[in-house]
Amino acid sequence: MRWVKRYRGLGVILAVILLLSVPGLFWRSEQTRAARANYRSAMAPVILVPGSSATQNRFNQLVKELNTQTKTQHSLLRVEVKTNNQLVYSGAIRRGDRQPFIVIGFQNRADGLTNIRKQAAWFAVAFQALQKTYHFNHFSAMGHSNGGLVLTLFMENAMAKTGAHADRLMTIASPFNLEEADPKVDTPMFTQLVAGRQHLSKDLVVYSLAGSQSYTGDGIVPFDSVDRGKYIFQKQVKSFTQITVSGANANHANLPENQQIVRLIRQDLLD
Amino acid sequence: MAEQVSRLGQWVIAGELRWRKLRQVRVVLTALRVIFPLVLIGTLADLVNRSWLTPTGYYYQTLHVTTWLLRRTRLQQGILLIQTGALGLAVLGVAFAVSYLLVAGVTRRTSDRLMGGGLAVLALEFLNVTPATLRAGRPLEWAAMNLGLPGLALGIVVGLLVGNLYRWGVRRWHHPSDALIRPLTLGTLGVLLTAFVSLLWLMRGPVDTTFGPAAWLRSTLTGASDWPALLGVSVLNGGVAWLGSLSPLPSTPQQAAMAAQNLATVLDTGSWHLPHPLTGQTILQAYANMGGPGMTLGLLLAIFCVTHNATQRHVGWLSVLPVLGNFNAPLLVGLPVVLSPVFLLPFLLAPAVCLSLSSLCLALHWVPASAYAFAVGTPGPLISYLGTGGAWSALGLAVVNLGLSTAIYYPFVKWAAMADRQLSEEATNDAMG
Repeated sequence: MRWVKRYRGLGVILAVILLLSVPGLFWRSEQTRAARANYRSAMAPVILVPGSSATQNRFNQLVKELNTQTKTQHSLLRVEVKTNNQLVYSGAIRRGDRQPFIVIGFQNRADGLTNIRKQAAWFAVAFQALQKTYHFNHFSAMGHSNGGLVLTLFMENAMAKTGAHADRLMTIASPFNLEEADPKVDTPMFTQLVAGRQHLSKDLVVYSLAGSQSYTGDGIVPFDSVDRGKYIFQKQVKSFTQITVSGANANHANLPENQQIVRLIRQDLLD
Repeated sequence: MAEQVSRLGQWVIAGELRWRKLRQVRVVLTALRVIFPLVLIGTLADLVNRSWLTPTGYYYQTLHVTTWLLRRTRLQQGILLIQTGALGLAVLGVAFAVSYLLVAGVTRRTSDRLMGGGLAVLALEFLNVTPATLRAGRPLEWAAMNLGLPGLALGIVVGLLVGNLYRWGVRRWHHPSDALIRPLTLGTLGVLLTAFVSLLWLMRGPVDTTFGPAAWLRSTLTGASDWPALLGVSVLNGGVAWLGSLSPLPSTPQQAAMAAQNLATVLDTGSWHLPHPLTGQTILQAYANMGGPGMTLGLLLAIFCVTHNATQRHVGWLSVLPVLGNFNAPLLVGLPVVLSPVFLLPFLLAPAVCLSLSSLCLALHWVPASAYAFAVGTPGPLISYLGTGGAWSALGLAVVNLGLSTAIYYPFVKWAAMADRQLSEEATNDAMG
């Protein structure tokens, strides 16, 4: 059996290759899931949601201001979600823009618990349509006032189904306990947000910004209601930062144009 | 019984023998053998670190290392210590050994030999300083062991330069009055001269000793997305490795972007019609890099197909584990393939043939292009299979490529073994005569 002796080494090496391949062959079925979990699309839009009674044009000035302060000019797409789930687009995403702004507004933009819940559902409809068109699987978001509540509800209840990952969330004067000023009273909105907090991503970075016109709030939202964000995000997400802004333009409606807040958006939301 | 050797074989063997008999070459090959243990240990540590302990590693992912391995970070620190130490010392060691052996050819005095070797190490270290820190009052950034395997060629060149200069000095000064006066004088002059030359080099900064060659290689790969460009990169990478600068296949931001777009297409649309079917990842990495640059898994298999080559088999056995993880430095240094004319042709030809055949198969849509990221340490034939999400046709093509490269290496391994035997017979005859 000379040939056995001659090719014994070759046989051993081929056997070792086969043996080392076994873990890979078994792992193959997990590969797509692992790749999908680690995969991040090149595009990561910044989604902006206005508060009640504001339209999808609410952030035009803010985006213009941000574009004058950043090296890269980001495009702006506005989407209005009709009550029948129909989407109306204006503006466009420039080809190659990896971090465009997308404003999602609602035809029914009235205030109130029931409406905020509906707006969160409409937001999910718009989000899935945008995801299908632009093939992104991660994003950052900013919500002004009730817009922050819409985003938080979406992240708790509907985001898992989309397969998307939220990188950063910035809420500006979002009333997590609605307009309730009494710290001893929990509104149904707050109870719902706290109940769903375990669905928030552990990788999410959250900034909660509050305006301080008086010593108790920004003129509309009580400071305590914004402060309640800590019971939702703290010890749940990757990091949670609360910032209070005072001085000029610190009242509720003017906060998105407040220069300190513009700087924080540029610094913390944009790459 | 004498073996039949073709005309080409006879010509190759004769050329190899002539080459290996050159003094400078003999010295370099001996020095490579001296540092082989360091290269082997350092490469094994590199393999363990990058394939078992790093998230992009094959075993890390497939065997879910984090779930059962305790104190991974501490272990990784220990492994990195071994890796950096052994590979860093290998570069310093080759400079020392080359210079030492060159001086040993003209004098029996140990002090001269050691001074020659020491000066080469010093010259190498002089080159490896961060120029920006060369100012009075600032601590000097002195990177002692950071060169690693890509710096092996630099170690050889510095060893040759310093060794030959010292050798020249010894030959001019035959009989010093005192045993210590010559190494003292030549050593002092050598330190001053190497410091002066190194200072000029650092001030001009023509090439960064650590990253220069790698950056140059990467620039050739930028945007390579067709067959001629990939062929050029493969030949260039092989040529540089043959000269002693051992590094993995280079990658560039453009190549990474193309790979990301390919993966995005597969994950988003489920389609395997990729936007960039011919890239470093889809062709070079998947089909022409088994066992490391040069398709050295084919070389390893060829070694075990040839008979009467005990030395080659010995090096082959020692290099099995690294080569199966595509870390081929021990095999390239141990045989050696580095600076060996007999291995130059197959070392360039085997990956070129594999990448050409694979490009053709991809163009004809016989196999899908690789989209999933390559896990470090994946056994060669499995790279394309996992890269294509489990396409058996890709595995089949990889096996064909492996067979082809083994066949290409086979005659050259045989001729190298014959040259080895002839050299050792001549050495024995010389010793007896």
